[in-house]
Amino acid sequence: MTALASLRDLTVTYRRDGNEVAALRRINLDIVAGERLAIIGESGSGKSTLALAIAGLLPRSARIEGRIDWFLPSSGAKSPPSVLPDISPSRGEIGSSTAGSPIASSAIGETRNEGAISPLEGEMSGRTEGGAKDRQPSTIARDYKPLGGRDIGFVFQDPSASLDPVMAVGKQIAEVARTHLGLTWPQAYAKAKSLLERVRLPDPDSALQSFPHQLSGGQKQRVAIAAAIAASPKLLIADEATSALDTIVQAEIVALIRRLVAEDGMTLLFISHDIALAAELAERIAVFRHGELLELGTTAQIVGAPTQAYTRTLLDAHIGLDAAPLLSRAGLNA
Amino acid sequence: MSLLTISNLTKRYRRGGKTIAAVDDVSFHIDPGETLALAGPSGSGKSTIARLVLRLIESDAGRIEFEGNDFLALGGAALRARRARLQMVFQDPLAAFNPRATVARMLDDPLRIHGIASRAERPRRIAALLERVGLTTDLAPRAIHEISGGQRQRVAIARAIATKPSLIVLDEAVSALDVSVRGQILELLLDLQRQEQIAYLFISHDLGVVRAIAHRVVLLEAGQLAESGDAHAVIDAPQSAIGKALVAAAPRLNRTRP
Repeated sequence: MTALASLRDLTVTYRRDGNEVAALRRINLDIVAGERLAIIGESGSGKSTLALAIAGLLPRSARIEGRIDWFLPSSGAKSPPSVLPDISPSRGEIGSSTAGSPIASSAIGETRNEGAISPLEGEMSGRTEGGAKDRQPSTIARDYKPLGGRDIGFVFQDPSASLDPVMAVGKQIAEVARTHLGLTWPQAYAKAKSLLERVRLPDPDSALQSFPHQLSGGQKQRVAIAAAIAASPKLLIADEATSALDTIVQAEIVALIRRLVAEDGMTLLFISHDIALAAELAERIAVFRHGELLELGTTAQIVGAPTQAYTRTLLDAHIGLDAAPLLSRAGLNA
Repeated sequence: MSLLTISNLTKRYRRGGKTIAAVDDVSFHIDPGETLALAGPSGSGKSTIARLVLRLIESDAGRIEFEGNDFLALGGAALRARRARLQMVFQDPLAAFNPRATVARMLDDPLRIHGIASRAERPRRIAALLERVGLTTDLAPRAIHEISGGQRQRVAIARAIATKPSLIVLDEAVSALDVSVRGQILELLLDLQRQEQIAYLFISHDLGVVRAIAHRVVLLEAGQLAESGDAHAVIDAPQSAIGKALVAAAPRLNRTRP
């Protein structure tokens, strides 16, 4: 088991109306390279904050404590096997490393107040380098950090918010390829077309020229996924990426994500409120509640033998096609 | 006698010079105290049917009979009076309500507009409505945006039952709620139905929820009725292509893959 990223005592605090609200409390979690890991939780569980923290997309007003260590193989080199670095006890640090050896960590514990950006603005990290980079803590040297779009692809819930409404979708995907892969525009457009084929968008040639409003919700999400994987990221984060879609399209997008992750050997972080959907896709499930990691295990463990009462509550609340009816069906002859 | 009878209902839209039938010759009925679910993928016409039934939009063809009257022939004061019997709850109460209005104001409106209670009597009625939906009366002065999503949907239900309706249209009313809250809201709806004999037109894309709460289901595809019948019978053994696709796509906890 090789870790791709290792979270140690990660704590994220938002300021709201002068109050400090802890969105995540002392999270310890290893993301294993190549795994499909689901993060499950209800509103306010901290699951989206976790996704944004890992992607480096937290608003500057958020205070981050603890560490995220990365073990990104530098070009060509393989990650060395599984020895986790010695975790320094000092808090308020985030470290990063390439090729497995931890490199200098930088203190970022202080609050950054300038220019708060709401995480709800839903920028697609894959599309512009600048958008993601501006949000990186300024004290971290760029070399050590995974770069949004290049190393991490991010798919948000609402593709209408993450895609530029006045730019043809071909250009939006080509821009990522141009920025991160150093391609010329013609090469980047060719790459965009092959990506649209990979995400199975009908008629990729005309889709390149179309605008987001001309596509259905499921098609827009396919475009957002194409942009997210354009630079072949190591980690794909899907934050409620299928929640706004109907059941049939949801199943198609889940199947698409499963196929792309397998084909490219990506690591998947699948954020969802739907434990049944997560169980169909993920190998491991982490259950979050009120900013804390309650339980982490294989999907079979979490679904079959949860140790936490809350996990059991979530499982019981799932209304599947085999659930006992709530309705007493006697007495009304419909 | 049926409470609501829809016959050959049709609604067409023009888009880019082409005419698209969002609802195409759809017929069904709802009995008093019954839950009929409308299910289908995005664009199948289920929300358009809800808006037609509520007369938020007008149909191009077909009939709607409600409580024995030709509902489409009603206008003006007669329509407004009849609307008290036909209420609605939408997916997102924050979008449906003025977010800065108070809970009390949201419940005062229907009581005042439909002349159900005098000014002096209304605070007592508002308190009773809040208790009826499982909320405490100290919520009354709070703003809609200050309360939780589950509380907000309870307020929306309280507002809907304030005018003593015989039918409530529930358009994805539990789809945006956390799963633990969703079960509580479904229980509340069932309890209200048992106590007050309210019928529901329950619109959802979630067949698990439909199977748990509905007596009968109508499956729609591309504006047309694909299949209808007893909710369990249809969902356990769908006959139409869209029914089979919807059932196959529903997430299942016991279908975990390696």
